[in-house]
Amino acid sequence: MSEICYEDWEPVIGLEIHVQLKTCSKLFSPSANCFGGEPNTYINEIDTGQPGSLPLLNKEAVDKAILLGLGVKATIALFSTFDRKSYFYPDNPRNFQITQFFRPLLKGGVVTCDIGGETRHFKINRAHLEDDTGMLKHFSSFSGVDYNRAGTPLIEIVSEPMMHSPKEAVAYATSLRTLLQYLNVADANMEEGGMRMDVNISVRKKAETELRPKIEVKNMNSFYNMSLAIEAEIRRQIECYCLRPDLPHAEAISAGTYKFDVTTGKTILMRRKEKEQDYRYVHEPDLVPIVLTPEYIDSLKEKLPELPHERYLRYIKELKIAPDSAAILITEKFTSDFFEEALVFAKNPTALCNWIIVEFAGRLKEKGLSLKESKITPRSLGILISLIETQQITGKIAKLIADEMLLYPEKESDAIFKENPNYHPISDEALLNRFVEETLEKFPESIRDFQAGKTKALAFLVGQVMQKTQGKASPEIVNTLFLKRLKKN
Amino acid sequence: MHTLLAHELHAHFLSGKLSAEEITTYFLRRIEAHNPQVHAFLSLFPEKAIEKARKLDQKRKNKEPLGKAAAIPIAVKDNIHIKGELTTCASKFLSNYRAPFNATVSSLLEKEDAIFLGKTNMDEFAMGGSGIHSAFGAAKNPWNLSCIPGGSSSGSAACISAGLAPLALGSDTGGSIRQPAALTGICGFKPSYGRVSRYGLVAFASSLDQIGPMARSVKDVALAFEIIGAPCSKDSTSLQIPPFSCLKHFDSFSLKGKKIGVPWSFLEKLGGETRANFENALSLLQNLGVEIFDIDLSILKYSIAVYYILATAEASTNLARFDGIRYGMRSPRAKTLEEIYEYSREDFFGLEVKTRIMLGSFVLSGSTETNQYNKAQKVRSLIIQKMKEAFQKCDIIALPSAASTAFEFSDQSDPLLEYLQDLYTIAANMGGLPAISVPSGWGSDGKPFGLQLMGPQLHDTDVLLFAHAFEKASGFGFPLPPLFQGDIA
Repeated sequence: MSEICYEDWEPVIGLEIHVQLKTCSKLFSPSANCFGGEPNTYINEIDTGQPGSLPLLNKEAVDKAILLGLGVKATIALFSTFDRKSYFYPDNPRNFQITQFFRPLLKGGVVTCDIGGETRHFKINRAHLEDDTGMLKHFSSFSGVDYNRAGTPLIEIVSEPMMHSPKEAVAYATSLRTLLQYLNVADANMEEGGMRMDVNISVRKKAETELRPKIEVKNMNSFYNMSLAIEAEIRRQIECYCLRPDLPHAEAISAGTYKFDVTTGKTILMRRKEKEQDYRYVHEPDLVPIVLTPEYIDSLKEKLPELPHERYLRYIKELKIAPDSAAILITEKFTSDFFEEALVFAKNPTALCNWIIVEFAGRLKEKGLSLKESKITPRSLGILISLIETQQITGKIAKLIADEMLLYPEKESDAIFKENPNYHPISDEALLNRFVEETLEKFPESIRDFQAGKTKALAFLVGQVMQKTQGKASPEIVNTLFLKRLKKN
Repeated sequence: MHTLLAHELHAHFLSGKLSAEEITTYFLRRIEAHNPQVHAFLSLFPEKAIEKARKLDQKRKNKEPLGKAAAIPIAVKDNIHIKGELTTCASKFLSNYRAPFNATVSSLLEKEDAIFLGKTNMDEFAMGGSGIHSAFGAAKNPWNLSCIPGGSSSGSAACISAGLAPLALGSDTGGSIRQPAALTGICGFKPSYGRVSRYGLVAFASSLDQIGPMARSVKDVALAFEIIGAPCSKDSTSLQIPPFSCLKHFDSFSLKGKKIGVPWSFLEKLGGETRANFENALSLLQNLGVEIFDIDLSILKYSIAVYYILATAEASTNLARFDGIRYGMRSPRAKTLEEIYEYSREDFFGLEVKTRIMLGSFVLSGSTETNQYNKAQKVRSLIIQKMKEAFQKCDIIALPSAASTAFEFSDQSDPLLEYLQDLYTIAANMGGLPAISVPSGWGSDGKPFGLQLMGPQLHDTDVLLFAHAFEKASGFGFPLPPLFQGDIA
């Protein structure tokens, strides 16, 4: 087999993302929309498909879908309908899913992301409402079904096939997730299955414009694994074509559904793809169409919050935060909102940003906590930054205070600062002057060096006093005292 | 007491002439005596009924307010839920299934102090026009026990006809209330689609199903409709129209100058005694001052084909939930998931049900643009359009309810013959129109005929008024069949 030149090929990737909407109750029943809980407790006759039950549309879910439409600037259908998608499986209580096949609520739209400083726009093909299935649980001699999740409102967002690398796919998915959080449409908690990705991948030679056959990798719920899966599948497909260049494309790569095996790092065929007609789509006769007016949509538009990309631009333009840092800061809504609140106290956006995404992020990661879980308040963090900015503490002391904040989140930073005398830098000029004199006595050659123009000498001298005071002296005051003294000479 | 009509029994109870317990006990004994002959009931709840009756007697004694149906014993078709009681739909699949909730119609009647006696026999899952397709043995026609009572509300029809209860609920998808009413010489009314809640009715074809009352007189039917024809928040297809009392207009209403349309070209093939009976009924109406117009409904010749495509398609999805996983029967010989599905449905569905599910699945197969279902929907729209045009020329459309009197059990060789039973009744379901069958006489074989009156959408009142006027003028009275005329010992 001749060498495979992977660089001659490019992947074409499209994502179908299922997101659980943040509503009080399920899409077609008043049962609670909750994660966890004892099996089969958030259910009623509609969720278990009892004969004689009828679905009832949840208005809040429609509103959330409209908000998403507004957030991505999709065309919001004023008239959309529901359909039955039939297939037999135990987690499917009616053996048909209620979805929107013929007339979805949203068409088009764009997800804006920033990849390596460059703004990219990825188009959405359509998005629609549908209900989630229950969950199968397998035991040694039998399997059970938990219908708590059955009926949870989902919005399925189908992108255009226009991503050409795992990086782009992850950027799209991440930006979409951030947007959903900002709109309060979904929490998209990956661990709880709040957002699941199906990846459609094909490859083609770089010059080609036509699409070759694609396969689907289903149910990815981690961006990292998705990235690995895409990498693996790209290689597999290229190898398939290169191994059998004689075969027509549809035979070299036959449509199917794959899953990603984390242990082997390979994609594995699950089944041949069921064609559209096997689902026997038919209009859902138990539900009336969703009819919206432009006035109603406008009323929701007024409630739109600042969107992630808008916030990103504001951070780099108005707050002068570095683009890379800003991109990280806005990714989680909680963190970004935290920043906004803390800024009131901190006043220095760049410093605050760095402390959040570097210093605290590092400490939190060690403890395995999220910012939310740490229970540290925005005020506390903001005040810490202001203490540094007003030179009441050194950077070193700030780090010590930060450690304490994590251990005792109920204590605010200024309280920690006040409590511990060690955190108060020595500003007593008389005392500091003694140290200055002592140091100058010890290192007379520094005086000569400074006068000779070696400014490093000053830093050395200040360093000595800092050492002597175990970092507690105020470096600015020591600096000033030395200068005064040296200039006298 | 068996000759008394529902509203008469109610009046006797209110006046104190009869106690609720007396009424209830009487009919329970009558059922005990005659049900083995007609097999109208599948289950009975005598203790519950007597208990309710006693409560009502106490209420009356205490001069508490009493409901519109107080002390009226009611039989309910076995596809409508009464909480805690069996809902078998005359199928082995649900032979052990107890309703987990009350149908809205059951709650409404309960609130008006009706007394439920038991659940009635039917064609399995409402699929049939004879009563033969019950998994528990067919109900029989009280006018001739070797003949079918019609279907699918066979048990409710037989029950009323034999005087085993004065009021019953049936369901009508393609004529299942009106046709058996005609064949058993009683009154059966299918309200406008959306007037009566389907919550708690085991769905057959969701866009066609309606629950309706069956009784020996139009007044009784109107009384029941007043109670059950109410908006329901648990059924999205329920119309938000408050119930209308037309009983008070019965006496003042006159047919003089009213217009009735007859689709003569569609009735071309109608012959023999059925035609004579129909023409006789029209003459009677003309004598009352009605003008008869010819209307063009030749499109109705496609009704059967359209119906059997649309109804079976919807039914195939509605019955998918019966899979042996969550409720109902599970085949004991199933060892794997596939087998649970296959064997449960194999063992516990009757032949007619299986046939219709297969037909329904078939018509939904293939591309959604060109499949049979799609075509049938278009023809349905045409039918609705044509009927709207017809109603511009007349107030009410008259048709025979059935093509002939009840055929014998031994006659049913060609399944398609049974499908043709629905020929005159399907149009009303297609258009969601109100339609009633009133007794219009007997054939030389002593078996009853029915006249069908159909009105424009939401003109339920007109239909009832016309029917009552005809009933009054016909002078038939409310005779019981010879075998059931006698009082019980």
